[in-house]
Amino acid sequence: MYKYDHIDQTLVDQRVAQFRDQVFRRLNGTLAEEEFRPLRLQNGLYHQRHAYMLRVAIPYGLLSSQQLRTLADISEKYDRGYGHFTTRQNIQFNWVTLEDTPDILADLAKVEMHAIQTSGNCIRNITSDAFAGVASDEYVDPRPVCELLRQWSTLHPEFAHLPRKFKFGINGAKEDRTVLLCHDVGIELKKNANINNGELTADIYAGGGMGRTPILGSLIKTGLPWQLLPSYLTALLRVYNRFGRRDNLYKARIKILVKALGSEEFARQVEGEWLHLQNGNDNFTQAEWDRVAKHFTKPAYQSLEKLSAQQVLELAPAADTAVNKAGFQRWLERNVKDHQVPGYASVILSLKPHGTVAPGDATTAQMNAIANLADQYSFGELRVTHEQNLVLADVEQAQLYKLWQAAKQQYVALPNIGLLTDIIACPGGDFCSLANAKSLPIAKAIQERFDDLDYLFDLGDISLNISGCINSCGHHHVGNIGVLGVDKDGEEWYQITLGGEQGNAAAIGKVIGPSFYADEIPDVISKIINTYSEERSVDESFIEAYRRLGVTPFKEAAYKNKHENEKNKDKAEVSGSAA
Amino acid sequence: MSINIIPSHEQILHFPKGEQAHLSANEWLIWSSSQDEAGNVTLPDLERSEFKKVLVPFTWWRSQLEAHQEAEIQAKAKLGQIGVWFAADDDILNYADLIEQGKTLWPLVAAHFPIFRDGRSFSTAALLRSRFQWGTEIRAIGDVLIDQLLQGARVGFNSFALRPDQKTDVALKQFDLFTVSTQNSWRGQRTLLQSAQSEACLVNAQPTHS
Repeated sequence: MYKYDHIDQTLVDQRVAQFRDQVFRRLNGTLAEEEFRPLRLQNGLYHQRHAYMLRVAIPYGLLSSQQLRTLADISEKYDRGYGHFTTRQNIQFNWVTLEDTPDILADLAKVEMHAIQTSGNCIRNITSDAFAGVASDEYVDPRPVCELLRQWSTLHPEFAHLPRKFKFGINGAKEDRTVLLCHDVGIELKKNANINNGELTADIYAGGGMGRTPILGSLIKTGLPWQLLPSYLTALLRVYNRFGRRDNLYKARIKILVKALGSEEFARQVEGEWLHLQNGNDNFTQAEWDRVAKHFTKPAYQSLEKLSAQQVLELAPAADTAVNKAGFQRWLERNVKDHQVPGYASVILSLKPHGTVAPGDATTAQMNAIANLADQYSFGELRVTHEQNLVLADVEQAQLYKLWQAAKQQYVALPNIGLLTDIIACPGGDFCSLANAKSLPIAKAIQERFDDLDYLFDLGDISLNISGCINSCGHHHVGNIGVLGVDKDGEEWYQITLGGEQGNAAAIGKVIGPSFYADEIPDVISKIINTYSEERSVDESFIEAYRRLGVTPFKEAAYKNKHENEKNKDKAEVSGSAA
Repeated sequence: MSINIIPSHEQILHFPKGEQAHLSANEWLIWSSSQDEAGNVTLPDLERSEFKKVLVPFTWWRSQLEAHQEAEIQAKAKLGQIGVWFAADDDILNYADLIEQGKTLWPLVAAHFPIFRDGRSFSTAALLRSRFQWGTEIRAIGDVLIDQLLQGARVGFNSFALRPDQKTDVALKQFDLFTVSTQNSWRGQRTLLQSAQSEACLVNAQPTHS
């Protein structure tokens, strides 16, 4: 992975010093909270319900074991013994103090990490495919471009106070694992013999996003040579900076500008601006590519034979119990992914044990243990997925059984990747001051309701995503089943959407009707799932069945007896208070 | 902050390219083209003002040209007494001809920050420098705070009318906070490019084994 040179290191060190001074001025009262707020946000520091929360960048999801150990140390020293991996390849610490933050950032800088631009109205931490460089369906390794753009966007002066936050997603594989079309700018990397002398090019999608107005991005540029990304993105961001709405917070994202102008007109304005910039010296040079790309060469893979599925299964000792063997098989099926290199596989460690406190949480001990697993099994590197799990990307197939056993010890081996309980959820009302409703108890209740692996395996691929408010940090819009917390007269209610999807067939889910109370949600999910079980054809996934059947049978099931139940509940409450 | 209450400044923070930041006395009144007590919109009387030069809103300048008052304001401008300031929503690219003409008329231009977290004037300054090759002073005015100075200096501002409550000693130190950069700016090329180039030189300088 990328290693800082003295310039990168100087920059993060100087950023720590700058923030230390800003905190000092805040604490001595010369910097007002209103004016400090954007400054701390641009360094990932939120003021939450109970305490400050620090969001640390894991650029494009890559993490070394040493970095993970530092995150573990921070969770122990400054927080309450855990960290929360987010949907945008960041980690959050929920219980830090303002006074400690400069020291935490200094600790992070020592292992080439920072919290720069993890929040605020600027270009955010760049996200990409958690399987970059190893996925069997990859046509371009996106990591050099991710790193070049990380550098380009870091402390970019012109775009430090955009109308609203701005998220880049970058993909280079056949399957989209980045939710590319839900980014302000989605960059799809390609190689085509006929364009740019067969060198890397980018297709640019603009104006995607979730939040209040979920929209999929529009294709505005194809075949952009990689070298010209800085000038093109400058043009794009300049049009947004100048003309994005600033009168209404809820209409300030680029998606609203692209929608208002129409994507063709927006593209035309960007081209007009780019005309003046494309031959300038902002563009990347080959020397810059070479300097960065040399860090993303392949690790020292052994020359190994590819093991068949049967051979991998037989790694389990013959004397192993049938239950263990079945468990290993399930884990192989859900948590192990194909690799580009024969004899290797990628392994997903599930941070979604059933009944978890929060999807994506890892304790100090788990982080330290997982760092050891990375050293032992995967060249000391890890990835963070946007589904809030961790990946050991380069594991020898022959080691899979040993790794499975070690992962079980840390409770990160549940074979539920891509299943109903692999829930994406934001921290919600338990922590976040923006939230209208809690997310975590809903996730826990659903995991407990469906705590049966036989049943989950039978249901197959289903995504269930939960957001505690319309900001959509839990990506509910693209969950096959989405749960959104809403506030009605000071009470927490939950709206259900169906039909959302991430990946190449990305789609925004549709609201099925009036919202539900928290304690109704597990039953509602059961009714939706039962409808699928009853109606599905052989081998038809939930989303395929939904597309064939439409919303009606699911909706009817979800609201069946709802009215009756509410009446009964009212009666019970009346009699309860009478007693 | 309303543009009607742009404060006067005793001192201006200057940070010329390639030089040290310093303070110097302000010569410029910032006029918002608001109505006077009689309800008229007239240029302030500089004879009676402590400031002998005035920055006028670009929209007012345009309105004068449209009203054929060109001769009068250009005469004043020729004395070096008039500059213009751009509001955050002025689309300067729509008035390229006027701005080209302004190069010989306005000794000073400014771009206004209605509130510190509104970054539109960063793009205005960047465009003035890169598209119009604006070579003389560009001043940041309005809600200009200490923590915008670095960004402002990099996009193309070289003087700052700080909001009066800002501490100038802290402000003066801002420009030394970073010695490296990862993207080009008006002040110079990204330092990261230099390290890429020196690495490339090293690679090329190594003897090749044939």
